[in-house]
Order: sequence, then C-alpha cells, then structure tokens
Amino acid sequence: MSIVRANGLSVHMEQLRPPEAVSGVPGGGPTAVLIHGLATDNLASWYLSMAHPLAAAGLRVIMYDLRGHGKSERPTAGYTLDHFVDDLAALLAVLDVTGPVHLLGNSFGGTIAFSYAARHPEQVAAIAAVESSPPTAAWFERVATRLDAAAAHLPHEHVLARISAERGERASRRARAARDVLVATSLARDLPASRLPAEERIAAIQCPVLWVYGGSSAVVELAPDVQRLLPHARIVTVPGQRHSILIDQPDTVRDIVLSWLRQDCGLHPGPADAAAGRDGRDQPPSPATLH
Amino acid sequence: MSVDQVNILAEVAAMLHAIRADAGVDGEITMATRFQDDLEMESIDVISLAGRLQARYGNAVNFAEFIAKLDLDSIRQLRVGQLVAHIATALDAAEADAGHADAGLGTAGLSA
Repeated sequence: MSIVRANGLSVHMEQLRPPEAVSGVPGGGPTAVLIHGLATDNLASWYLSMAHPLAAAGLRVIMYDLRGHGKSERPTAGYTLDHFVDDLAALLAVLDVTGPVHLLGNSFGGTIAFSYAARHPEQVAAIAAVESSPPTAAWFERVATRLDAAAAHLPHEHVLARISAERGERASRRARAARDVLVATSLARDLPASRLPAEERIAAIQCPVLWVYGGSSAVVELAPDVQRLLPHARIVTVPGQRHSILIDQPDTVRDIVLSWLRQDCGLHPGPADAAAGRDGRDQPPSPATLH
Repeated sequence: MSVDQVNILAEVAAMLHAIRADAGVDGEITMATRFQDDLEMESIDVISLAGRLQARYGNAVNFAEFIAKLDLDSIRQLRVGQLVAHIATALDAAEADAGHADAGLGTAGLSA
C-alpha cells in the first residue's frame, strides 16, 4: 500500500507503470488518473477494470482513494467540490506529474475531473466519465438528494438487512461503506454547499470527452444537458445497465474506453495481453480491443 | 508445494499479518486461507497488497494483471495459495527469460 501526503492528508494511492516495450519511454508515456465515486466506492473499482489495460496500452496509471474513502484519511469535515479538486491537484504535484493528464472518473469522480479541467484546462488531455456529469446545479441537486436519503436511512440496521436480502451481499457491503463515511463526516452537508464553476468554464473544455451511461440508470437523463454543454463529446449508452456499470460490466466499459482512446485521443492501445508480454500469452484476446 | 512456494508463502503471510494486525485478525496463514472468510479482507484490502508485492518482487510479478481477471466478488473469494502460485510462476518465468525477456515483444502493442 502506498500512502502519500497531499493537501494535508494521508492519501492511499496505487500506481502502475507501463512496460517499457510499449511506451518506448522509460517510466512511461502519458499519465492517466482514475477517480472513483462517492460514498460506496473506492479505487478498487478502477483497479479491477481499467488499471491493467491502460498500463498495457502505454499509460502511467494513478489511482487514489478520495478523502474519507477507502484507505485514505477521513477528516470529519471538508467535503466540498473544491476540497476534492484541491486534493487531486496536490496529489499530481506530489507525484511530479507535469504533462497534461487523461482523467477517468466514475460517477462523482467524473465531476471532479471536469472541475479540475475547468480550473486547469491546459493540464487535461482527455476525460472519460462513467455515469457522471460536469459540476452543474442539476447534478448537485441529484447528488444531494441521494446523499440525504442515504444518510437518513443507512444508519438503521433493518435498512441494511433489507438491502442485503433484496439486492445481495455486494450491494450490502457498498451500503455499509457509504453509511460509515456519511456517519463519520459532514460529506452529505458539505457537498451541496459547494461552489460550482461557471457554465462557460465547463463549456470551454476542448479536450476529447467520453461519457458512458447505463441505459437503465437515472443518471442517463442528464445526457442531453451534457450534450448541450459539450457538443463535441462522445456519448455511449449501454442498454440495461445501471449506475454501477463500472463494477457490473468492467469488460464493456474497458472496451468502450480503449476504443475511444484509439479513435478520439490518438493513443494506440494494443491488445492488453500482447502489450503485457509473456505473462499475457494465456489470455484470450478481447476482440473489441483488437479492432 | 515447492521450496519456492514455501518461501513465498512465508513472505506473503508476513505482509498479510502486517496489513490485518490493526483489524485484530491473527492466526496461521496457509495456502488454503481465504482473503474474505478468514482474513476479513475487502477488495480494497487485497489491492493494497500491490505496493508491498512490487517492493519485494519488482515488475516480474504483475499483480495488476493477475487480479485484472477477477471482479470485486471473486477477488474476495481468492485463497492465499492462488496468489503464491502466481508469484512462483511469474518469478520462474522471469528467471527463464532473463536476458531475452523483451526480444519477442517489439512494438506488438503499437501495431494493433
């Protein structure tokens, strides 16, 4: 486990460097930073879905647990959008990442990515966001409603028992993680009080942008708003998937992101197994990453 | 179990004891020990082994690739023995390939 100090906090981060044979540069080519979502999430969802394929494609991959989440420090207060964006900026500084970065965000992680890009447009090469939105008032209203409901209900054991019975152990574990952070911190109160960037700052983001939505998720309702703000963005909706598409369908998300990196970002990710070399020879190639 | 695997198991067990000590999890760790049921480890706990494995074994043991084949549930069903076997195989292959490890790779990743 790697712990670094950033923005005054102990931050759990994991890092993968590409094999030199792929990047052609010792230590790696461009950098990708993978940002998870709020309350139920931590860096594991990215580590298990995109970390290895991105490293095999030649990117230096950085993942971290947001403040209050996973194995990062959990201060009792300080959970506005600016706190999260400051944390990201501080982490990149500590890790000496200077060039433009590729940002991948799941749910609110995508919102952090866009907020960072609105603040430092020259520092962002591309953004891929799963089940997410830029920092708009409509999105923050939704997030606030969800956090309020979770903070009100999850502390009750019978609610957790019902989630476990109706939706299974995975959902129950995620609910417990959410309860722990919501009970111990002011996240549910701080986030709605966030200062949001002006819409013009978001609309001014020119880098390639990918949105991935689940067709059965309520968040896909925000897609028209996203398209209005960022008409150049590519939007992919996966039928039947819900908000947890990244952990439910990691292979699908991986194929969509890798093909976008190739087509819109000028990266040339090969099949993960070939790029990874010897250890990958037993893996069946994934058609979607080959063509 | 080979001599290599015995040694690797001892090293991995030490890492796991260090990680789980603060959670009050103790006891002998064997090849059959399960990350979830015996060590009460969540996915994020298992992933936090990555840094320690990298520090001990270097790039030869590609932990990210090993667990990229798993999902949030199956990673918790893993047994310590599966990780030990992966490490032993990876170290063997690295030794066998020493000196010409990159010869066949070239730009395979760039041409697809």
